[in-house]
Amino acid sequence: MMKRFFLLCLFLIGLGWAVSGFSGLAAQGTYDSIVLDFREEIGQQSITNQIQAIAQKYQVIPYLNSEFSPEDNIYIVRGDKQLLKSLRKSLGKNTEYIEPNYIYSANYSAKFDNGVLYDAVPPYKNISQDSFFSSSIPNDPFYGQQWNLRSINVETAWNETHGEGVTVAVIDTGVSQVPDLKDTEFVGGYDFVNDRAEASDDNGHGTHVAGTVAQSTNNGYGVAGVAYNAKIMPLKVLSAGGGGTIADIAEAIKFAADNGADVINMSLGGGGESQLMQEAINYAYNKGVVIVAAAGNSGENAAGYPARYPKVIGVAALDPTGNKTPYSNFGAGVDIAAPGGLTVGENTAGGILQETIDPETGGSTFAAFQGTSMASPHVAAIAALVKASGITEPEDVARVIKESARKVEEDPLNHFGAGHVDAGSAVQLALKGQITFRDFFRWLRDSGYLNPRFWIDGGAVALLPKLGMVVGSYLLAWFLRNYFPFQWSFSMMSGLVAGSSGLFFLRGFYIFDLPQWPMRMMGSSVPELGNAIAGNSLLNPIFASVLIPAILVVLFLGHSTWKWIAIGTTIGVASCLTVSAVISPAVWGLGSGILAQGFLGVNALLCLGLATLALKAETRTV
Amino acid sequence: MKVQGKIEHKGFGTGTWALVTDNKTYELKDAPSDLKKKGLKVEVNGEVREDVMTTAMIGPVLEVQSFEVMD
Repeated sequence: MMKRFFLLCLFLIGLGWAVSGFSGLAAQGTYDSIVLDFREEIGQQSITNQIQAIAQKYQVIPYLNSEFSPEDNIYIVRGDKQLLKSLRKSLGKNTEYIEPNYIYSANYSAKFDNGVLYDAVPPYKNISQDSFFSSSIPNDPFYGQQWNLRSINVETAWNETHGEGVTVAVIDTGVSQVPDLKDTEFVGGYDFVNDRAEASDDNGHGTHVAGTVAQSTNNGYGVAGVAYNAKIMPLKVLSAGGGGTIADIAEAIKFAADNGADVINMSLGGGGESQLMQEAINYAYNKGVVIVAAAGNSGENAAGYPARYPKVIGVAALDPTGNKTPYSNFGAGVDIAAPGGLTVGENTAGGILQETIDPETGGSTFAAFQGTSMASPHVAAIAALVKASGITEPEDVARVIKESARKVEEDPLNHFGAGHVDAGSAVQLALKGQITFRDFFRWLRDSGYLNPRFWIDGGAVALLPKLGMVVGSYLLAWFLRNYFPFQWSFSMMSGLVAGSSGLFFLRGFYIFDLPQWPMRMMGSSVPELGNAIAGNSLLNPIFASVLIPAILVVLFLGHSTWKWIAIGTTIGVASCLTVSAVISPAVWGLGSGILAQGFLGVNALLCLGLATLALKAETRTV
Repeated sequence: MKVQGKIEHKGFGTGTWALVTDNKTYELKDAPSDLKKKGLKVEVNGEVREDVMTTAMIGPVLEVQSFEVMD
């Protein structure tokens, strides 16, 4: 009794020290922009004047935070501490608040791609809050101008996927790797115009389209793309003038299908029906490729080719208010509608902004384009997100995209097909029926079982070795039981788990603003304890040895319950050391070669011997 | 074939040249620089290319062989 009390005290002291040693909850965020919330009562004219004054005085351009912001008068300006100070001084009385626009999401989603972020604000329930606190807002400085990404509800989709592992073939004027495509992964394509492997862009159209699909995002530069972790396969079929032959396009479709593309985007159209094209489309479709094409810009009642082929998802273009653009084709062949933008003369604010090349200079430039060409890649990228969420067949991908679209009630001329495309709903529908790890925790939280702010790092635990260690320890125990019959007991099993794997599922468990190492410690087996606090994977030779099991056995062999924990732990450690010796034999001071392997192996054998001796002594006395 | 109409510049992608008639818009392929003048009224002699697709998608692709300025 005394002993237990003593151990409990030790544990509490340790825990107290851990929590008090933590530097505090007031973690400092980073920010490179500032939020201004003007008072409504000062009037729109006065706000406009103020904004012009800010622009002139500080050489920055305040922009509306989102399409929902005008009524709240929330503006964002790029700037630092210095600017924040001066703005507060000069504008204080006209605003409700001026505060740093902390980058909540950027670090999380960039660093924790394998993980899930759970904060106290439920996603997609409160839109205006969400745009400030959601985990999905990228740090690309012009993201605020991408109304189109908000209108397809992409941030909700980004909570689940960014298109990982999916390849989108862009059949177009080629794709040049402009600075804002530097972090985007490319796979080998082909230039069918000049017959060469490199498919760079000499027009500016294809690079723009590829940008909508997978512009490098969260890179602190330029703009964002919809499925930014998807891979781009550049296929050039259109010349610098923007035209190309059906023969080349058909070949490119087959090339894409044969070279691992999952989705094809064709922001092109024209000409007549073609057997060659039809066959190429069937070929790709039967290979599981989702094919998306622009409906065309002639304002006519029918999509052009190739959008009108039945196996192609034809995309009409929406303007920033969600109406059909005047140029977009409609009617037959239109399956869905996506933002295509509307530019009026020099005013390109309503266009789709991406980085592309300037064909005059060959350099890179940010350009806002309009067209069903711009609408199509939104849908192609959403197809990539749906594929990355586990839907594989093109028929199912199309169904998911259409069923999840926001329907337009009055649409007698089929301006919109199934409706306005919605990336967030599409991904959620795709994930429905597949209970994921995330769903489970979301369910726990939504049902009120869990309310804290916590976060799970799905990549922290290599599951298979852990399972090997637990199963191995049970096999060892079962083997020994043949010779030394003993009763399975809770103590024994606790020992096996503690010795072999620990409560390993706790390893990736984080509680916001609290140190994580207690979780790592509880998630570690006895041999891993020595490196759990530091959080590295190098085994500490003092812990990863027969030493602790030996001490436990010597101390507790006389105790009727605790001895089973000691024996179980010893067997568990034997299993853990064996698996480590085979899979990841990195030991501090011994390297990760034969020396470390030998050390772990010998200690595993010693543990086994120790367990045998203890069991022998035990079963003899029974 | 011969088509009469007005030359316009359409803002799709990096821009394209069009021949607009009363009821149809043609996308001009290989338009010579003399033809690329906004508002120019012309008669274009050319051929509609059924085998060509483009980024602009504003209408049939008219490959220009020759043209005459009308007043």
